[in-house]
Amino acid sequence: MPSWEEFRPFIVTGLALGGVYSLSGVGLVVLYRATGVLNLAFGAVGAMGALIAWELINNANWPDGLAYLVCVVFGGVVTLLYGLLFGPPLAGRDPLVKATATLGLALILLGAMSWIWSDKARSMILPTSNENFMVSDVLVNYTQVIGFAFGVVVTVVTAAFLRYTNLGTAMRALANDREITATLGVPVRRVEAAAWLGSGLLAGVAGLLLSNLVGLDANTLTFLVISSLAAALIARLQSLTVTLAAGIVVGLVNALITPILSISEYRDMTPFILAIIALLWLSRHREVRIGRAAG
Amino acid sequence: MRIMLGRARSQFFVAIVLAVCFSLFIAACGDDDDGGGGGDGGAAQVKETVKASDCGPEPGQKASGEPIKLGALATKQPGTDFSEIPRMADAYFKCVNDNGGINGRPVEYVIEYEQTDPGQAASQAKKLVETEKVLGIVGNTSIIECDVNHKYYEAQEYFVIGSGIAPTCYSTPNFAAVNMGPRYSSDGATQALIRQDVKKIVLDQSNVPGTDYIEEGPRLITEDAGKEFEGLKENVPIQDANSAALKAVQAAGDGGGVVLNFTPPEALKILQAAQQQGLQDRVKWGCSTPCNTDFLAEALGDAWDGKLFVNAELNLITADAPDSNLYREVQKQYAPDIPLGSFSQMGFIEARIATEALQGVQGDYTKESVNEAFKNVKNFETDILCNPWYYGEAPLHIPNNVDRTVTPKGGTMVQEEDCFPISDVDPAIKEVRDIEKQDPSLVGGG
Repeated sequence: MPSWEEFRPFIVTGLALGGVYSLSGVGLVVLYRATGVLNLAFGAVGAMGALIAWELINNANWPDGLAYLVCVVFGGVVTLLYGLLFGPPLAGRDPLVKATATLGLALILLGAMSWIWSDKARSMILPTSNENFMVSDVLVNYTQVIGFAFGVVVTVVTAAFLRYTNLGTAMRALANDREITATLGVPVRRVEAAAWLGSGLLAGVAGLLLSNLVGLDANTLTFLVISSLAAALIARLQSLTVTLAAGIVVGLVNALITPILSISEYRDMTPFILAIIALLWLSRHREVRIGRAAG
Repeated sequence: MRIMLGRARSQFFVAIVLAVCFSLFIAACGDDDDGGGGGDGGAAQVKETVKASDCGPEPGQKASGEPIKLGALATKQPGTDFSEIPRMADAYFKCVNDNGGINGRPVEYVIEYEQTDPGQAASQAKKLVETEKVLGIVGNTSIIECDVNHKYYEAQEYFVIGSGIAPTCYSTPNFAAVNMGPRYSSDGATQALIRQDVKKIVLDQSNVPGTDYIEEGPRLITEDAGKEFEGLKENVPIQDANSAALKAVQAAGDGGGVVLNFTPPEALKILQAAQQQGLQDRVKWGCSTPCNTDFLAEALGDAWDGKLFVNAELNLITADAPDSNLYREVQKQYAPDIPLGSFSQMGFIEARIATEALQGVQGDYTKESVNEAFKNVKNFETDILCNPWYYGEAPLHIPNNVDRTVTPKGGTMVQEEDCFPISDVDPAIKEVRDIEKQDPSLVGGG
């Protein structure tokens, strides 16, 4: 078993990744609550945004800041377009159908990324990754700080937005009952579009941060949505606060298992194990009936 | 109604968990390509001492006789594309055909592809042999082909010249590769770090089938040097590179060495994470051949100049030497869409070896005479390889067993160490050295 000194740096990496998982999880939950869609293309959208930014910086000589902005805007625009095109026709379908449809978008984006950028090694270093400071012998860079802080800030701001703004109230109303909300005169499509846009912008930010914290690789970034999804599932796709906490726990546990060599290679299971434990725990009081229905 | 909704929601959650588990499994199965990357990109600043027409015996004279049919089988699928190797071989054969051919006869070259499906790989090999009736097989590069087809080639008495990936490519009498593959390349990177006087070696590699086989070589070499060894595995794609880099550095300890055996994008993640955490000077870093790519050197930037020791199975693409110059000329004239790099170097060398062997055939070109010619190749000298290449009659072939070390410098890979022999502490290397001792003419001796 590693010593406390050996564990300490993993707390930093875990918190940074956990923060971004939380940020992504919040994006997933907000969209799900407003539209009933679990966006499995969240990671792919962020990955493509990050690769576009890389292309603009390295081959079109764009200023770094502008390229980063394009990454975020790309996330918002693609997600919004998907929502506008496919949201209404799928609105009445089962949540599983809606989620599977977003998997289609993820695969299209993944294929496009493989086609355009191949699997060559490339990197995009944010200026904040080169600035760092020591916390009791552990080197912390500012991208890690931003990763964690952004997750917390986005959760707090989103929660306040949903609670105190008209649009947020409309989103919460949609989450409760789409038909009744529409009957009350709420512009459902406009509210849903706002949710798609917001979630997409978060996908762009997450893609940018994860391309630094994890690596600029289409496959990796696309499937990192799984860890965020676990955080969202632990929160039963409802609570932003639980999503924040769950994302950080997933990141921390994942990182802290790393130096324990006997179980280290199984650490990618962390999100699933935590999600399953949480779901079992949350449904512990549910009554189970075995028997044939009367009829 | 509420209970029903609750149950439906639970089923939905379970379905989502299962779906993402499946997605992760699929993701984990992919993306472990790169039988050897290397040196792509980067304009060559050299004296142009040769012309492409030097590839054939009669410059400018098109071959017009009956074609000599050769074939190749390579993996080509999203994320794993080795087609550059046979395509570069094809470019070389076209050059030969335009400049006299093989005793006046052109080469007709048939390339088949497979998508890591054993049934497909087997049927494509049969198609080449039984339908296309190719006389020889040159340029094969496949993740699974050696495992699937080596018995078929042995039964059909084809002696394949190709690039190896699977261990079987280096343990069958009927396949000889121009590269040395991940195990012996990891051996070379380990030796480079031992020469840097590290206290311990940690080999960190993808958690995919075959890694235990690869680990054995570096382990034996490290222990023979009286140093401690530890093997680590990472699931790919790596999802937490910072933790992976920290783990490797902690395992190696201060003054230790970490050898990476990953595809370039995965190795880059670990190296960058190490840099961002200030770990690049805590240990010495080594890497097997896939890291030998200018893309990686460029992505790493100056912070890694001279700090990463990468095993190089082939010469630098910028080398100013006859074969290296001819390689670039042929690429420029016949295959400008194929990047300069170790994949295209392999295809070039394989076609060069086959061409030279075929030029020596007396009498008819038949399956028997062509394969006999391939099998008899010995002392094939080229500046792209450290030692002469040979085939010969042996239970296994690792003719490329002397390597270089390169390191990033200013965004490209440059030579750090000249040719050195891969340690014969690795049993298979010992076996081929014994074969070379028994018949020194294979490598130009005796």
